[in-house]
Amino acid sequence: MKIILKYILVNVKERKARSVVMMLSILLSSALLFVSFCIGASYESAQRKMAIGMAGSATVSVSPADGTRPISPDEIPDLESTGQKVKVLKSAALYHEKGYYETVDLIGAELDELNKINPPRLADGGQISDFTGRQIILPDRFTSKYHIEKGDTVTLQVNQKPVAFTVSEIAAYDTVFLRHTRGATALIPYSALMEILGGEGGGSEILLEPAAGISTEELLYDLHENLAAEKYQVAQIVDEIQIEAGARQKSMPFFLISFFALTMSVFIIYSSYKVITLDRLPSIGTFRSIGATEKAVTGILLLESVLYGSVGGLLGIPAGMFALKLILRGLGKSLTEGIEIPVVMPVPVILLSFLVALAVSILSAWIPVRRASRLSVKDVVMGMVEERVVPKRFLMTAGVVLFILSVILPHLAEGNMLYLAGGISIVGMIASTIIIIPLVVDGLAACLEQLYGLIFKNEGRIAARNMKANKNTVQNITLLFISISAVIVISVVGDFVSTYITDVFRDAELQGFADGEVDQEFVEQVKQMNGVKTILPLYVFKNEIKGEGDMFTRVEATDDLEAYSAMFGLNYTAKDMEKKAAAAFEKERTVILSEDCLKEKGVKIDDIITLAKDGVEKDYRVAGSFKSRATDVEAVVPSNYAVSDFHADSYGFLAYTAQDADAVMVQIRDLFADRPNWSRTVEEFNEDALSTVSAFLKPMHSMTYFILLLAAVGVINNLLINYIQKRRTIAMYKSIGLSHRQNVSIMLIEGFTSGVIGAAIAAGVSYLEIKTVFLVAGPKITMAPELELSMFFASGAMGIAVTLAGTFIPIFKSRRMKLVEEIRYE
Amino acid sequence: MKSYKTSTVIEGKDITKNFQVGGAPVCVLKEISLKVQRGEFVSVMGESGSGKSTLLYILGGLDSPTGGSVYIDGTDISKLDDRKMSEMRRRKIGFVFQFYNLIANLNVEENIMLPLLLDGCKMWDYRERLEEILEVVGLKDRRKHTPRELSGGQQQRVAIARSLIGRPEILFADEPTGNLDSKTGAEIMGLLQDINKNDGQTIIMVTHSPEAAKSSSRIITVKDGAIL
Repeated sequence: MKIILKYILVNVKERKARSVVMMLSILLSSALLFVSFCIGASYESAQRKMAIGMAGSATVSVSPADGTRPISPDEIPDLESTGQKVKVLKSAALYHEKGYYETVDLIGAELDELNKINPPRLADGGQISDFTGRQIILPDRFTSKYHIEKGDTVTLQVNQKPVAFTVSEIAAYDTVFLRHTRGATALIPYSALMEILGGEGGGSEILLEPAAGISTEELLYDLHENLAAEKYQVAQIVDEIQIEAGARQKSMPFFLISFFALTMSVFIIYSSYKVITLDRLPSIGTFRSIGATEKAVTGILLLESVLYGSVGGLLGIPAGMFALKLILRGLGKSLTEGIEIPVVMPVPVILLSFLVALAVSILSAWIPVRRASRLSVKDVVMGMVEERVVPKRFLMTAGVVLFILSVILPHLAEGNMLYLAGGISIVGMIASTIIIIPLVVDGLAACLEQLYGLIFKNEGRIAARNMKANKNTVQNITLLFISISAVIVISVVGDFVSTYITDVFRDAELQGFADGEVDQEFVEQVKQMNGVKTILPLYVFKNEIKGEGDMFTRVEATDDLEAYSAMFGLNYTAKDMEKKAAAAFEKERTVILSEDCLKEKGVKIDDIITLAKDGVEKDYRVAGSFKSRATDVEAVVPSNYAVSDFHADSYGFLAYTAQDADAVMVQIRDLFADRPNWSRTVEEFNEDALSTVSAFLKPMHSMTYFILLLAAVGVINNLLINYIQKRRTIAMYKSIGLSHRQNVSIMLIEGFTSGVIGAAIAAGVSYLEIKTVFLVAGPKITMAPELELSMFFASGAMGIAVTLAGTFIPIFKSRRMKLVEEIRYE
Repeated sequence: MKSYKTSTVIEGKDITKNFQVGGAPVCVLKEISLKVQRGEFVSVMGESGSGKSTLLYILGGLDSPTGGSVYIDGTDISKLDDRKMSEMRRRKIGFVFQFYNLIANLNVEENIMLPLLLDGCKMWDYRERLEEILEVVGLKDRRKHTPRELSGGQQQRVAIARSLIGRPEILFADEPTGNLDSKTGAEIMGLLQDINKNDGQTIIMVTHSPEAAKSSSRIITVKDGAIL
């Protein structure tokens, strides 16, 4: 074993460049995979931390079922499963400064009780003392934003009345103050909030901690058993499923990158091993001739790949940890919530990343190694090994058929099968392109021989001829194709996600909106404002109207459905639906439903559904269905029926278009004065959304360059292999008068051409890959991706640069070549 | 001179070997039958392309015949699977090649011990045998050198030592002097002759050289795939 290990180690040492390249490719892949896994886990942990927020060690909340009365801790029976019980009083307030409103959630709690489950942490590390009266503790992120200091007085609008508080302490953005929505949370003494709200005791909810050794599930079970469902709502504070789903969504793009990185690593190691086994044929022959079994030879050769996998994996994990810390630091800072995302590196993830690195290394080497160990011993010993030649026509036919099938497949699938078809399609496109590339390169090389002969003379001709049936050139082009297409696909999908999430009003005409209660006079005043073009006031019913027994989360009413559709960019299910629905709105009780709602309620167009509010029930005809990214409304009804049937009296939402949306917004905010509202221009809204989303997309974009780095590593590897295999030929050329300059130009022409071919193939295939991605995602989204030509050109240019950069090492090596040694070499 | 049994150690029966060259079948060996007795030193001679190396590789189990059978110590080697055949190569057969086929990054000792290591033996248990064989091939003072640091003759001595370390029944040599100058070639032939005479080692050698063939006890000439 010692000798075998020595044999392997010396091999690794003797081929330093190749060994480094293989380890580097494993290192980068395992680092990327590790980051992909940990991003999800870290984000999940941050989300859990925010979800726990106010509750601390409490995991269950109990609140009155109807939400109208207060609840007292005495109402919760003393159960063995119950630990600490903390009463919390909640209310909302508005902070108004320079025309900008910020929502502040008020938490009223007894400090002694709160300390038992979730002690607030002060920014200066001190202790809270004497927390009574109209005092308030605000988080540092809020105070620094508005330049508020300890001892200052802040005035909040509570129930539309100004209430002044003294800032008693400034807390760290942690524990009670953590939140996952915009705005801020403030802590005030329970008695003070109770007095402001005019209550007589009790709280909005009771937070419960499980007793020692009791699980949340057990506590929930006991509470459900002991509290009447019609009187109390018992809920788990953290929705694990939702948190996991959110984390999965965030880590998905990183897994996409890992997929491409692993594909490239497999390719790099596979192609390297093809050369390694070729290199080792004399040794393989020797081993076999002295009695080594096929299994033993396979084992010896695979041990080397175990070494690459182990070292690459072991180094990849610390590299991944470093990258993860950098990414998460940037991520936490740029999130609007400003949270600190903990770096979570679970041991199973470390092990899994290492094992994947090892598995990728071993499996990629498996085919060439197995093939080599199965060769006829005599052929190996006598150096008569010939590579199996697969007929070109068969390859071309198989490749083209597979490619066409891969492109067509997603068009034939539907439902859940669409995802599977999409996955198979992308892998199929990559695989078939890899099959076709050698034939394409041979064909192009023949054409380029003529063209380059005219442009670069004989050096061009030789360069083009060198590319023909040249496995290294094919491997370079393949690597470039995979990496460039990965960069294009990831960038386009990333940009699309960014646009899709941040620019929700993209297809909508509205330029600003006011979410707040407004009357007809307010609407008239907005109409009179300078530069206002259109204005659309809406009646809003939030959780007030039932339809077919279930409550609609949001119903809106308008008297101009066409204007409404344009303002919110409604995409109707059928083309002529909009006109028909608009005409029906004017004369009958009709409703249009979101497509999700239509599906959920199991109704069809022209069905009659009963809408009910406060005992009034009316039949409405379903006149249309839509999807829209700009609104989460479930149903839209005509205004006149909303007034007559459901007694709508004031508007709840106002959308507008104007010559200067910002100027109108300032005036609208002034009109609201101290009344609660949430008013934003579309631009303001997008800015807020972008700062959150781009925090996730930025690291994803930067990681795409890892892919190019990996490609560069692979290309250098191939060029080195090419050089090793060709050095005798180069020496022979040199011996008959090839100058260094001529050699350099031949290598550069070859490199440049490989880059161009790789980039062109990548552009074409990635275009089809993107089409497949959006075909699969299509039913869920309402906009098409924008494919910018500049993105394709930029990625292609980077690929060409990578190949050209890769030629420098062989150029440098060939300059130092000792002609006599190379020519005598056998 | 040591005594040895004069039984048949290897027997080829009706060995036929066909190749496809450019789609056309070429018969390299035509129903060759031969027997080699234990302790014999047989030289196989013939012109290039006569089929002598193919015959050697088939007899040594490195290649399989299209027809016919080969028996080593009574065992039909064509019926052996890879594991059994490898075991046979480790324990009963030694090979010496024209281009030495040493592992470049292992030293002399390690190269010699490789067959035993592949057989799961511990190097320490075979120190004495190693010393003995190093003495025979005259490389005691070169034991820590790698093949790159040795001359062609010395490399061939290492290859011979490696082939003998497991005390094989038969030593096959394919043009062992083909890559050496005449003086070194004579030294190698002297070494093989000594091993044959002193240890009763059966040797089957392919050679072009009539000089080398003189060292053997029997010469077989192959022409156009048949023994003359």
